[in-house]
Amino acid sequence: MSSLLEINNLQASVGDKPILKGLSLSIQPGEVHAIMGPNGSGKSTLSYVLSGKDGYDIGGGSMHLDGQDLADMEPEERAIAGMFLAFQYPLEIPGVTNMTFLKASLNAVRRGRGEDEIDAAQFLRLAREKARALGVDDEMLKRPLNVGFSGGEKKRNEILQMAVLEPRLAILDETDSGLDIDALKTVAEGVNALRAPERGLLLITHYQRLLDFVKPDVVHVMANGRIVKSGGPELALELEASGYADYIDEAVHA
Amino acid sequence: MLDAASYFEQVKQALPGDAEARAQALHKAEALGLPTRRLEHWHYTDLARLLKKPAQENAALVATDFSALNPSQVRFEGGVMQASDDAGLADWPALSPTAAEHASDAMVLYNQALAQAGVVLELPEGGQKTLLVTTQGSAPQHLSHHISLARGAELILIDDNMASGYSNVAWDIELAEDSKLTFVHLQQAGRQVATSTVRLAENATLTRLNLLSGQDMARHAGTIALQAAGARAELHSAILGTDAAHNDVTYVIDHQAADTQSNTTSYHALAGQARGVFQGKVIVQRDAQRVDALMQARAMMLSDGPEMDAKPELEIYADDVQCAHGTAIGEIDADALFFLRARGLDEATARQFLITGFIEQVLDACDHEPLVASLRAHIETKIATVLGQGSAS
Repeated sequence: MSSLLEINNLQASVGDKPILKGLSLSIQPGEVHAIMGPNGSGKSTLSYVLSGKDGYDIGGGSMHLDGQDLADMEPEERAIAGMFLAFQYPLEIPGVTNMTFLKASLNAVRRGRGEDEIDAAQFLRLAREKARALGVDDEMLKRPLNVGFSGGEKKRNEILQMAVLEPRLAILDETDSGLDIDALKTVAEGVNALRAPERGLLLITHYQRLLDFVKPDVVHVMANGRIVKSGGPELALELEASGYADYIDEAVHA
Repeated sequence: MLDAASYFEQVKQALPGDAEARAQALHKAEALGLPTRRLEHWHYTDLARLLKKPAQENAALVATDFSALNPSQVRFEGGVMQASDDAGLADWPALSPTAAEHASDAMVLYNQALAQAGVVLELPEGGQKTLLVTTQGSAPQHLSHHISLARGAELILIDDNMASGYSNVAWDIELAEDSKLTFVHLQQAGRQVATSTVRLAENATLTRLNLLSGQDMARHAGTIALQAAGARAELHSAILGTDAAHNDVTYVIDHQAADTQSNTTSYHALAGQARGVFQGKVIVQRDAQRVDALMQARAMMLSDGPEMDAKPELEIYADDVQCAHGTAIGEIDADALFFLRARGLDEATARQFLITGFIEQVLDACDHEPLVASLRAHIETKIATVLGQGSAS
């Protein structure tokens, strides 16, 4: 049980429809894993189930973060435990400025972890420093959270939240979707800056593209609700060349 | 109030102005009777019935700090001016004998019959002022205010209602060329009928912000006449309705001239058994080309109990105009709630964030930073006070 994330035979469904069908995965501290797979294979469901979204029935199996059983934890408890999900479609929250949100979020997590809250001046320094590295300017910090942000701005903003909250395990759900090459590079640099010996990253992606910039240690292929193959970075290149067709057939006929 | 005639007998000796004109206004008001649902403009607010209900207890009032704006101040209690530090206010006028002849709204007529005080402010050309009007106490109030801004004058007017009883308030406002009025209306308590009429000349701007959070009743009716090119009205209302609160915002926006603009929004956050009403009618007169008018009513239902009635209307007689209206009524967005919780905020805090964010959109149209800061603080304290008591869940 020394894994950072340990998922064992996890099953989850929405209503009567099974989506995760016995998924197992283990991530060690410091590792970067990528999950690739066709649409409908259950990649986003995995990210939601891990971070505690309502609406999924856990039918069996287990998931642990740092040895803590996630199953009965609320989303905010998981965030405090160090789980972070960078959303595929970050939500727009009118009326709440980016800055207000970031500060409330950081302090909620710090309180939960038994640390002192950070004061306004300290926070401002911290947020500006982290924001600058991601090309998030003061104007963006003052605007309502994600309202009117471009796709690239929203994704950079997700990485900023990750940088401020310093999670143990970050799941990036299709963070590369909708980004042009420059935005992708900025986001990738932000992600690389967060690689650390004690932290794990799980990249969920459709394409090889992101993995050119953020090199994974392990690549998994997901199809029909489970991991059907795992390998090194070369697996991603192989997929890029031959597509997912083999795996879809394999999973369906298995 | 219910027996206006005997109330009038009681107080008429003390009322200034033309007693005969007052008696006429009262007579006419009594003939019309208190508004009921049969009148289109009162369709969702049956005043005759609502006034028979026992008065509702109010949640703790939140004193709002406007000191950063350094305003002049006027205070009313029981319909009488108690204190004023503003030497610039004129004497309250005797009732104009002709006024009653033209009024067809019973509440305006009652106001004309019974008002005994009000603010009379004539801001001269280029003048600038910030005025804070507060009302307090539990006795009935009838106030009649008259505001006029000369060319280029700028006024920030804050009407902070904390009186717990019945009140009937009328505002008559004239905005000359290039003048600018920011008119904030806060109501945290009492049962109030407020009726305002605003006339805007060329390039005059009205920014009106209503923040209603009382637990009893508020009816805010406004008629806005955009009379010359460049006139612009920004009309924004935020309502936090809890318990059995009834809050009604009703506007008629009359684009009488070409090249005029209006933007009307309302944000109702409703819990308990609260009822929210928004009615807005945009009229574009025949020669009023190139009018730009937007109207949007939104409601966030915080539980299963509340009711929202929204009725935006367009009546357009010109052909080259841009007008749009819409209504959206929904619950707190589950995805947004999850997003905030996934960032560590507990459910109650995340809900409060979303409600606050929803309500604070009312401030988007205001660019006066100290005022926005005061109102933001008011909203946040009010939401924490009211929803913290558990009445929203």
